[in-house]
Parts: sequence; C-alpha cells; structure tokens
Amino acid sequence: MAAVIAATGVVKSFGEGRAARRVLDGASLHVHPGEVVAILGRSGTGKSTMLHLVGGLDRPDAGTISVAGEPVTGTSERALSRLRRRRIGFVFQFFHLLPELSGEANVLLAGRVRGAAPDAAARGQDLIDRLGLREVARSLPHQLSGGEQQRFAIARALVNDPPVLLADEPTGNLDTTAGAEVLRLLRAGAEEGRAVVMVTHETAAANIADRVLTLRDGQLIG
Amino acid sequence: MIRDALAALRARRGRTVLAALGVLAASLVVGTSVTVGYSLATGFERSAERAQLPDVIARFPEQRLRRIDARVSALPNLETRSYRFEALNEDVSGNGHYTGKGAVTTVFEGRRGYTVVDGRDVRDGESGAVVVERGVAREWDLHVGDELSVEEHGTLRVSGIAVSPDNVAFPLASTARVYVSRAEHGGRVRPNVALLWLNDPDKADVTLAQARAVTFGLGKLQFITRTGVEILLSQAAGIVISLLVAFSLVALVAAGTMLAASAHAEVQRRLTGLGVQRALGFGPGRIAAQQAVEATLLAVPAAALGITLGALLVARPAAELLAALNELGPGPTGIAVPLVLSTAGVVALVVAAATWPAWRAARRPPIEILRGGDLARKPRGRARRRGESSGPLGHKSHPNEPAGRGSGLFALGVRFATAARGRWFAAVATIAVCAGVVTLMLALASLLERLREDPGTVGKRYQLAVQLDPSLIPDAERLPGVRDVGERYSIDAADSFRLGEPIRLVAYPGDHTRFENPPLAEGRRIQRPNEVEVGVGMADALGLKPGSTLAAQIPDGGEIRFKVAGIVRALENDGRIAWIQPDKLLATRPDLNPQVVVRLDSNSNAAAVTEGLVELGAELQPVGAAQTDNAAFLAVLAAVLRGVGLAVGLVCLYALVQALTVTARERRGAVALLRATGADAPTVGLVLAGAAVAVAVPAAIAGVVLELAIFGPAVSRLAASFASLPLGASVGQIALVIGGLLLLAALATLLVARRVMREPIIAGLREE
Ligand SMILES: Nc1ncnc2c1ncn2[C@@H]1O[C@H](COP(=O)(O)OP(=O)(O)OP(=O)(O)O)[C@@H](O)[C@H]1O
Ligand SMILES: [Mg+2]
Repeated sequence: MAAVIAATGVVKSFGEGRAARRVLDGASLHVHPGEVVAILGRSGTGKSTMLHLVGGLDRPDAGTISVAGEPVTGTSERALSRLRRRRIGFVFQFFHLLPELSGEANVLLAGRVRGAAPDAAARGQDLIDRLGLREVARSLPHQLSGGEQQRFAIARALVNDPPVLLADEPTGNLDTTAGAEVLRLLRAGAEEGRAVVMVTHETAAANIADRVLTLRDGQLIG
Repeated sequence: MIRDALAALRARRGRTVLAALGVLAASLVVGTSVTVGYSLATGFERSAERAQLPDVIARFPEQRLRRIDARVSALPNLETRSYRFEALNEDVSGNGHYTGKGAVTTVFEGRRGYTVVDGRDVRDGESGAVVVERGVAREWDLHVGDELSVEEHGTLRVSGIAVSPDNVAFPLASTARVYVSRAEHGGRVRPNVALLWLNDPDKADVTLAQARAVTFGLGKLQFITRTGVEILLSQAAGIVISLLVAFSLVALVAAGTMLAASAHAEVQRRLTGLGVQRALGFGPGRIAAQQAVEATLLAVPAAALGITLGALLVARPAAELLAALNELGPGPTGIAVPLVLSTAGVVALVVAAATWPAWRAARRPPIEILRGGDLARKPRGRARRRGESSGPLGHKSHPNEPAGRGSGLFALGVRFATAARGRWFAAVATIAVCAGVVTLMLALASLLERLREDPGTVGKRYQLAVQLDPSLIPDAERLPGVRDVGERYSIDAADSFRLGEPIRLVAYPGDHTRFENPPLAEGRRIQRPNEVEVGVGMADALGLKPGSTLAAQIPDGGEIRFKVAGIVRALENDGRIAWIQPDKLLATRPDLNPQVVVRLDSNSNAAAVTEGLVELGAELQPVGAAQTDNAAFLAVLAAVLRGVGLAVGLVCLYALVQALTVTARERRGAVALLRATGADAPTVGLVLAGAAVAVAVPAAIAGVVLELAIFGPAVSRLAASFASLPLGASVGQIALVIGGLLLLAALATLLVARRVMREPIIAGLREE
C-alpha cells in the first residue's frame, strides 16, 4: 500500500549567518494508512519542527513532502490551506482551544472554515458523544480539565475526517489516566484507516505505536 | 525596581512603543488644546494687565483740561486718570499703504493705557515721533525707525509699536490707531477722552453713576468699562474663541478618556503575567507599585514630547489669533507652567489608569487570574447559559448550510473582539470619543463657514429680508421652502435720559424669537407691548437692569417708554439694540414701514425662494452677517482650528488603527489556529472583519451620539455667552463619519489580514 505521508530528505535551519542551526538534516518519514508512528528524541532535537513541516504549517529549506498524494512542498498557500482543511488533523500539547468558545463550538469551528467537509457538523456532534464530552460540551475551555480539553482538541482534529492525524506530545500535559484515554482515541483513529504520527517523551505512548522512530542529529532513525 | 521596570518595558518592546505612541498622540491633543485654550482664555486679562487698560474709558466733546479734570478728580473710588485727544477718520499713510480711517490719538501725561512691545514710547514734549498700533505695523510691514505720514502732523518717525486690548487689531478693526504726544500740537489741544483707573474695579457702577451725574451738561457722553471692552472684543471674535476654548476642553477630556482606556487595556492584556507574579509570591501592592513605575517610565517622555510637539504645532496660529485681537501671547515662560502641569496631569492619568486595574486584579486569587485572564470573571453557571445561547456556532441553532457558515465566522470575529470586555470597551470608548470629536470638528467647520454668510448663526433666524407689501405675506408664506414670514420694524432712536446715546429698536408683532433669538443673559422675554429686551452693550452703557425704565426718543416722533424685562446678548450695533412689540412705536410713528423677513426651511434653496419673492414684487435687502472685515479673521481662526483639528484627526486615525491591529495581534494565536485547521485568506479576512465591525460600528454610533448629546451642546453652551450657536452635526456629516470609520475599519482589516497571512503559522501558535 502507498504511504499516505511521504517525506524525504527534509532540511530545516533556524537563524541566519553564524547563528544558523540546522535542526533537520535530511530527515525522512513514510507512514501508511492505519499505522501509528511515534517519534522520540531529546528535547530540542526538532521533533515538533518535523511535525509542523509535515502538516504544512511551515516550509522546509529542502526535501519533498507529500500527504495523501498531494504535494506539501513547493505548493501555493491556498493549496496548503486546502490540504490542512481536508487531509490533516492537528493535536497540540497545549490544546489550543479558543478561550472564548465552548468546547463544542471549538470542535465545530473546524467545520465552519470555508471549504470544510459538508458533513463536518454532524460528525462533530457524533465525536462529542463518542468522546464522552456531551456533559461538558457547553463549558468554556478554562472551565474544563486538561484531559477534557485534549479530547475536545482531538474531536476538532477529526471533524473533517482527515486521513492523517498529527499529534505533538498529546499526553504531555495530562496525568496517566487521561493520557491513556487520549492514546486510546489516537489508536482508534488509526483503526479507522488513518495514518497517525505522534511526538512523545513517554514510553506509554510509544507502547501503542506500530513503529517508533528517534530523531537524532537531524535525522529520523528507525 | 526601576531596573526591573526598564527590563520589562524592553522585553515587550513592540507593545511599549505602541503604548508610548498612544500617550504621545493623546499628549499632542493636550498640547494643542492647552496652548490654544490657555493663550486665548487668559489673553485679555494678560494684555489688559500689561497695557494697564483703564477700568473706564469716557468719551465726550472736547473740553478744557482744567474743567474736565476738576470734575473727574472728584469722582469716588478713583485711583488715577489720564486724558487723550482722539481724532477719527484721519488720513494715515506709510510704506505704500494708506487709510482714511486713521485714529490719531494724542496722549497726555500720565498712564497710557497701552503697552509698547517694540521700540519706545513717545516722550511727553517730544514731537516728530509716533507710536503705531501693532496691527497697523504688521499689516503695513512697518518697523521702528520707518516713516509714517499723518494728516496735519506731516511725516513722523515710528518710535515704537504698541498693543492695547481696547479694541481688536487693524485691519480687523477698520481704524488704524497711532499715538502722538501733546507737543505735536504745540500743546494747544483739548482732550475728548478720559481714562479712569479705579481703586476697586468691582464698584465701577458707583463711579459711573456719579460720573453721569457730575458730567451732565457736557453734551454727548459715552462710557465704556473694562468689562464692556471685553464684550466689545468678543463681538468680533468671542463666538469662535469660546468655541475654540470649549473645543480644547472637549479635546482634553477626549484625550484623557483615550489615555485611561488604553492604559486599562494594556493591563487587561497582561493579567496572566500578573497571575504568575502572584503565584510566585509577589503581593498586590508590590505588583501595583511595579506597574506604576513602568507606567511612569513610559509616560513621562511620551507625554513631554507629545505636549511639546502639540504646543509647537499651534504656537504660530495661536499667536496670529492673539495679534488679531490686540492681545499678547503668554510667552515661552508663561505657557510653560500650564504645559508642565498638563504633562504632570497626563502622566498621573496614565499611571493611575495602569496601576488601578493591576491593583484590583492582583488582589484576586492567583489561580483565577491565571486560568482565564480577563475572561474568567463570569460565574460558571452564567457562562454555561451563555454557551447554550451562544447561537452562531451552536449546532442546533445553525443548520449546516453554507450561508450560515459565513455568518458564523463573522460572528466569531465579533466574539474575538468582544470576548475581553474591558479591552473591547476601551477600544470602543477611544474610537467613539475620536469619532465624536471629528464630528464636532466638522460641525464647527461648517459653522465657521456659515458665520461668514448666514446671519442665523449670530442670533438671527431669518435668512432673507425684503421690501414687500404686507398684504402679500400670506402668498410669501405659501412659497415652497419658506418656514415663516414676518414683519420687522427697525429704527435708530436716542435715549431720552442721556441725549445722544444711540439705540436701535427692533419690533416684531408677536414673538420675536421666531426671527431673532438673542440669548437671554438676565431677566425674561418680553410679553407685553410696554416691555423691552435690551442688549448687554446698551444695558452696560445706560446702566439698565430688569425692572428699570428705558425712554427712547423716536426721530420725527414722540418719546416712548418701556420697562426692561430682560437683558440679552446681542452683537448687532455694539449691543446697543433692543427688542419690543411694535404697538407703541406705531402709535407715535404710524408712517413706519416694516421690512418683511423670511425664514427658510433648513434644507431649502435660498435662490429659488428669492426668485419666488421677486416674482411677488419683493425688493431684496441685505441681511447683515459677520462683517466683511471679519473674513480675514475667520481665516486665522480656521487656521487655528485646522491646527487643533489636525492633531485630533491624527490621534483618531492612530487610535482606530491601533485598536484594530491590537485586536488582531491579540488574536494572533487564534488566527494561527484557524489557519492550522485550513482557513484560507478570505476566511481569516471574514473573521477579522467581524472583529473590526464589532469595534467600529458601536464606536461610530456612540461617537455620533456623544457629539449630538454631549460635545455639541457642551461647546454651544460654553460659547453661548455671545450667541446661540447650532452645533449639531448634520445628517451628511454623521454619514461621513460613520462611513469613514467603516472604511478605515475595512482598510485596517485588509492590512492586518495581509500581514497575518504572511506570517508563519507556528509563530502565531507559539504566542498563544
Ligand atoms: N521559530 C523558530 N525560530 C528559531 N528557532 C527555532 C524555532 N522553532 C524551533 N526552533 C529551534 O529548533 C530546535 C528544535 O525545536 P523543536 O520545537 O522542534 O524541538 P522539539 O524536539 O520539539 O523539543 P521539545 O521536546 O522540547 O518540544 C530548538 O532548538 C528550537 O530552539
Ligand atoms: Mg516539541
């Protein structure tokens, strides 16, 4: 089966001149549908950076990336927006729920963006039920626990039914129980045929992965 | 602590600069307002002081000095006196200029009543020297040492340039005043003016009453008091000057609101930081103190710079204006005190506005501050209910249709802008005040324009005066665009008690306020044919009060008497004017013909009405507006207004763009998140537009309401000691302000959206 994520020879530097630092130096990543890949590595090695590049949030200096057969590198901002809208779901370490919207509204927000999946709203409601968030659906983020916030964030990532789910330390701010629940949801996402890439520090997280890669010296090593 | 504060300011350099710019902008307004307001408000007093302006000026037919001085020196309450001989309508020429309206004033020994601002005074006993009034010197470009030729006296050398605030300056006043010594006449000259200085100027009426009694028989006698001079000056400029002063006051209040609002917003934004500090064990007092130090460090240089710039910006126009009024500027040291005081005021305001909310916030439990910033204040239950009714993004209220989507994003933008109530309110307040001030400016500008052409602005409410057969009045009333038509009698009479005091009587059958509505200063309106409303100038000259009697000698008629019902502020005929009902006048002069005056609808076409009237057989007569001499003066005033207006306009523009960009910046993280979930440029633009509209629309509405309900009436009231001035903005002006604001909002949205879209998404996410 073809890889839904295909990244080859990705290079990314930060800073300029003598202060420049090459964080990624020819990193490659291939992930198949239904697969959970965990990326490990010491702090500051560039794990988040790699995820951002795959998700089209940032552009690499060199290398090619494609997601679900569509190019991420060398394409227009408009095409990137479409890609993010329909092909990629993001889960962040710090949840990033909009503070003025209820959990439910945060989930539905992704379905309101121009060009989102037509059935997004229905799927959003369904996700809220399935993730056990109905009780707190109308609460504002600051009234929710960390675990609840992260589950809303996952629901939001899934609302457009993307084939790729990218999660940056999704359990980093949660206790073991809440973390386990989040991991179960990610795993379930993969069972539905998604490619899931998760950056993590935790062995528990790595344990649910099909494959564990380590980022070292700017490269992803299997 | 100061080092900490400096470090903190440096760490958020962008915001510091933004906040400093805000303080600077508001200070600019303060600087211009204080400079104009203070210079003008104190101008008369200051110049009167410096020139030793007499408390009473008496004019009489030429008298032997010995004879008049015997009577004058016996007056009660008299400190000292001096005399002049004043010859009017003399030919004066110099430097290629000429006037036939020279006032050649021969000064006798003693106090002069003017101050020499350049060169030196004429010496008693000196001949061949002349002191010229500053207005003449400026207009004719005369300098000390130049030659001036004066009727009778031949060519004289200018020894000095003088200022006396007893009249406005040439050419605003048509007379060109020059001063020569008694020696110029070989000593053979008799005075016709006496200048009196009193021990207690408040008791001037006692002295005046006595003077009237003892000088009876001297013939035509005229008194003018220092207060009278002030009123006289005001007739030329008072309206607009008080408008300016009032406008400055309003601008001050507006600047204060803006400062307070933006300082408050800044603290709201930094609540999380305060929460962390509290969690680290800082006490509320310590946090507030640090805030105060930071605010002071930021405010002092910004306020000082802004106020200095503002003062410099209007210094020249203000000086021009004072010169036109024959008044002296406060000078650099004089204006320094109010400027330093207002700098201190601005700093105090900024510090208070920044410290108070910090202090209040810091006393809340740290976790509450940390969890929600300024969003977290609502109790949970209420927030839930809000969530349920939260409409736009709620699932049930909005079925999933494309149209609902757009409005949902727009509503999200509205939510972004209004989520932080304090910040939203500050932004709306700032822009509303600006919009209000801009609307006021527009209203003022058109008022100035009308002042030149439309007599209505100086108390007259009719626009056309014609000679027309009174039987045709009903026909005239039926012309389209005509609001009211009435008969107006006007006759110049003389006061019978003091022969020679000229008074103008104006009579309307019925209520005269339909056509002429001079503001009431004292007493009440006339109700009966035997009552009269007299102008302040006349009341001052004749010593009239409500209840006293006015006896008027009608030319070719008898004497008619009226009871004074009220004193009104009138400009026409130096305020020597009175309003009556025509019954008594017509009894003694049945032959008197009325003018027919026509009041137009506010939006009617005067030319069309005039044509209609002419067809009825009417003969057009001019309606006196501000005198043509005033055109130049109005230009000077317009320059001052422009100076102040420019500053205010800049501040408004800055405030609007700042409020919108700050909202967008604040929501950088949210915008980045939207983009991470796939929002493209139009989607982000829609959200930002929602945010902009959420600020701009209520601000525009509040601004217009502010002008109509507060600024306009306040400025009118402050200026109302001279005339009733309509300062409400017109529909067109209101539309202009609202439209302009929306346009600016759209522009700001576009700029911000473009910038946001160019920024890497992760940069925004990192900030969240
Ligand atoms: N926008 C940026 N500008 C400059 N340097 C950056 C930027 N983003 C990341 N870096 C640098 O790149 C390196 C990798 O950052 P990244 O966030 O990818 O690390 P990470 O592996 O996710 O670390 P952690 O496990 O701590 O989250 C770091 O040294 C970081 O300082
Ligand atoms: Mg990371």
